[in-house]
Amino acid sequence: MIFSLEVFGHVIERGVGYYLKWENHTRPQLGRIWERDREKIVAQKKIESILTSLNAQDQSAESIQSFKEVFEKLNPSDPQMISRKKFLQLYFEFPEQLSYKMVSPYELLEIDSNRGWQRVLLTQLGEWVTISFINNQNFPIREVFLSAEGMEGNPLSRDIFKGTLEEAGFEQTAILSIADFMRVMKTLDPDAQSNLFPDPYWFFSKNYHVTRVGVKEIESSDEYPPPVRMGVEYQSDFYTEVLILPVPTDISDNLLSQVEIPVYEEPTEGSSPFGDFEGDLN
Amino acid sequence: MKRRIFEKIAFSIFTLLIAFFLLGIGLYIDLKDDLPQLPDSLEKINLSLPTEIYSSQGNVIKVLGQRHPVSLSEISPQFTEAMIATEDSRFYSHGGVDHIGLTRAMLRNIRSMRISQGGSTITQQLSKNLFFSFERRWVRKIKELMVALQIEATFSKEEILEAYCNQVYFGSGAYGVEDASLVYFGKRAKDLTLLQAAMLAGLPNSPNSANPFNNFERAMKRTRTVLNRMVSSNFIGSLQLQEALETDLELAPHRIQSNPNQYFIQHVISKLEKEYGKEFVHFGGLKIFTTIDTRLQKFAQQAVTTHMKSLDKRMGTREDGETLQAAVVSLENKTGAVRVLLGGRDYSQSQFNRAVSNNRMAGSSFKPIVYLTAMENLGISPATVMRDEPVILQISPGKTWEPKNFNDEYFGDLILKRALMKSLNVVSAKLVNDLTPERVIKTARQMGITSPLGENLSLALGATGVSPLEMAGAYSVIANLGILNEPYLIDRIEDFRGNTLYEHFYFGVQRFSQKTIYPLLDMMRGVVEEGTGRVVRRMGFQHPAGGKTGTTNDYKDAWFDGFTKDLSASVWVGYDSNISMVDRNGRGLTGGGASAPIWTYFMKKALSGKSLVNFPVPEGIQFVEVDSKTGYLSNSSTAKTMKVAVKNDVVLTLPPSTDSIQGYFASEEPDPETNPVPNNMVEENVLPEL
Repeated sequence: MIFSLEVFGHVIERGVGYYLKWENHTRPQLGRIWERDREKIVAQKKIESILTSLNAQDQSAESIQSFKEVFEKLNPSDPQMISRKKFLQLYFEFPEQLSYKMVSPYELLEIDSNRGWQRVLLTQLGEWVTISFINNQNFPIREVFLSAEGMEGNPLSRDIFKGTLEEAGFEQTAILSIADFMRVMKTLDPDAQSNLFPDPYWFFSKNYHVTRVGVKEIESSDEYPPPVRMGVEYQSDFYTEVLILPVPTDISDNLLSQVEIPVYEEPTEGSSPFGDFEGDLN
Repeated sequence: MKRRIFEKIAFSIFTLLIAFFLLGIGLYIDLKDDLPQLPDSLEKINLSLPTEIYSSQGNVIKVLGQRHPVSLSEISPQFTEAMIATEDSRFYSHGGVDHIGLTRAMLRNIRSMRISQGGSTITQQLSKNLFFSFERRWVRKIKELMVALQIEATFSKEEILEAYCNQVYFGSGAYGVEDASLVYFGKRAKDLTLLQAAMLAGLPNSPNSANPFNNFERAMKRTRTVLNRMVSSNFIGSLQLQEALETDLELAPHRIQSNPNQYFIQHVISKLEKEYGKEFVHFGGLKIFTTIDTRLQKFAQQAVTTHMKSLDKRMGTREDGETLQAAVVSLENKTGAVRVLLGGRDYSQSQFNRAVSNNRMAGSSFKPIVYLTAMENLGISPATVMRDEPVILQISPGKTWEPKNFNDEYFGDLILKRALMKSLNVVSAKLVNDLTPERVIKTARQMGITSPLGENLSLALGATGVSPLEMAGAYSVIANLGILNEPYLIDRIEDFRGNTLYEHFYFGVQRFSQKTIYPLLDMMRGVVEEGTGRVVRRMGFQHPAGGKTGTTNDYKDAWFDGFTKDLSASVWVGYDSNISMVDRNGRGLTGGGASAPIWTYFMKKALSGKSLVNFPVPEGIQFVEVDSKTGYLSNSSTAKTMKVAVKNDVVLTLPPSTDSIQGYFASEEPDPETNPVPNNMVEENVLPEL
């Protein structure tokens, strides 16, 4: 009797087991084992989201075109990280001799001498920006401190504008052809020339053809006298662009005085807004 | 007649079966939606990438979610036999439910009117472990049984046994037989002896109470029971049982007891869980590179263990059995890397992390923050004269506070450096009264202290809760000459492919000028050389160092926080219940007696073999010898001189009656007529008499 009950029970259990197996796929994924799977998925999603965000940051850093852009993106809660290669590219490829004031090329050679320099971390704290040259342990080999206020008129304010000088806000009356501008340039001593105008090699290396030069005052600035910007218009293979750069204060007054042409005195073709001036701007 | 009886019995059984059948269908319909789906394979249930935590030396110090699944062929057959004999002797003959075992358990449960015995087979236990909670409810039991039937119909007995052996919990954090073998015996599951196999087989039923690390006697009793069951199940003979009991168990050392890194590890885990979520930490398959220096952590543990033993002797055994606790934190000044984080005497005894808890008063170890604020805001210097005498301070209209010195001892006029070296409460209270607590709090925040700080005068005596981690961080700012490096514990996190998910960047911020902080640093060196922390030198610590003791009211907390050029460390000692630390002779434990020896022992070991490195002296600092009572430059008639470091622009004078200058530097020619006040402080900088 018990034996038959045992057999009967066994058959029933088997039947139930096979029935449950048969409709297994219709049942929900409940319980700890499935929960663990879900937790694994949550973890992987979190990792993916972190990686995506980091990749976006890397791409954003790689697409930066100038130090100005780097510093514009910088804020106390969002430090900027750029690779050594990118830093050198911005430092040397962008026509910014003035970036040497940030850190001299000789200092860069020294920083790079022990092959430890991997990346550059830029952080802002209050009025101060720290440029940390860090090694593969993320330890700063060298730190350079810049005053955020003092950046105006420095390399950081250099920019490239896509379009013509007029579109970049330069008055028609303060725009010179390259030939006219070069006549003024020739009057400057070599130091003043290199302070005023970017390294010509930059234009040649990129096959850019300089066409015109403009000068303007930034009147919206609170500073007195207002800072002066020079725009160098050039033609690339596809675009017209303007390299906008600050004019050193010691040259700006003289330069402005040469281009202050009354609006009503439209320069005639071939004439120079500098007139017959051939003196020394200094 | 017989036939009628037989027919009645047959009818009853049939009716009963039909009733059971209908009941079964009803139950199934009711529970259908709650029954879980089974995975395709039982092999996959243990597959999860472990998260590894590394020390700063690159060694793995913890693995989270690690499983060591092994096939049946890699498990000692004696273990599987012991397991079957103990948990489910009819494992190979039943179809998921052991009717005899179940009936016996049901009868016992009905008799006791509660679920006291499970009668579960290995398959049912596997079903429970994979899908269900551990609460004992009838409904859960029925669902577990149904899933067990499906498991039997889906997988072979070997697959079921293998899955069970690989996921069952054996206590001491070990899941699966391979992990358990490594934890308890330091060997692979295939190499287990009969005695070891029997001990492990007895653990799933009572992983804590029969744990050999916790109760060896009970564990052996359980092992004998398992061996007897193996005999009755004919897996072994009586002779083998006797032989097994005569062999050596070869139990491995308890891992938790010998792991001093646990407080650090758990703090890292909880920080990451808070930041990224539990799933990320436990199921992410991460590599977490931390800052811990296991060598230093071991020294800290040794220092605590050694000194606490002597303190225990001194304090005697308390009625409630409570023992003294301690916490140690050490930072690398240059980077802010937390090299040591010890949150208690023994993690296996108490998991509460005192190193990061801010529930204990800082006491006098907070005074350097007060002194720094005063030197920054009141224009005073270490040579400024203060009067140490009983004083009544006005807290609010009609409410006063009378701070008292340790042992009610007062020293009259003395210079600020000496006041700090002697840790005089009255002087500190006067400074805070003059500064306002808000200014002191501002300084504390600049030094990295984040705990809530009370805006009241008692801040002068450190009547505010801070953690040893915060104190070590604040003191490292002094050692760093004003640069705050946020303390951090994690260097880098990588996923299993090696992608960096997080990395720490050093970012030191100059919070105080070097010229302002160096005089304080020099004063704190005085504490170690001749002040309340001189035990450090008595114990033979040679390295240039600064520090400060701290003892709170009624000897409830004892602190010593200090630094060398490279390392800062904070040590706290006290009772968790916040009772007084008074020994059998009625003497209380102070920061100098309870904590400074731990600090010294640790630092001596940590800096052993390293050359002595002095603190760099910033430009604009002068060292002068002054009269420690009057603050005048010392001369041949000065009774007690003291060397102080002050800014170059601090004007110091010779005593009014002096006839000759004894060769000490003073930035201006002293003129007793025009400079009658010692230190020549301008009027607004002289502290008001109270």
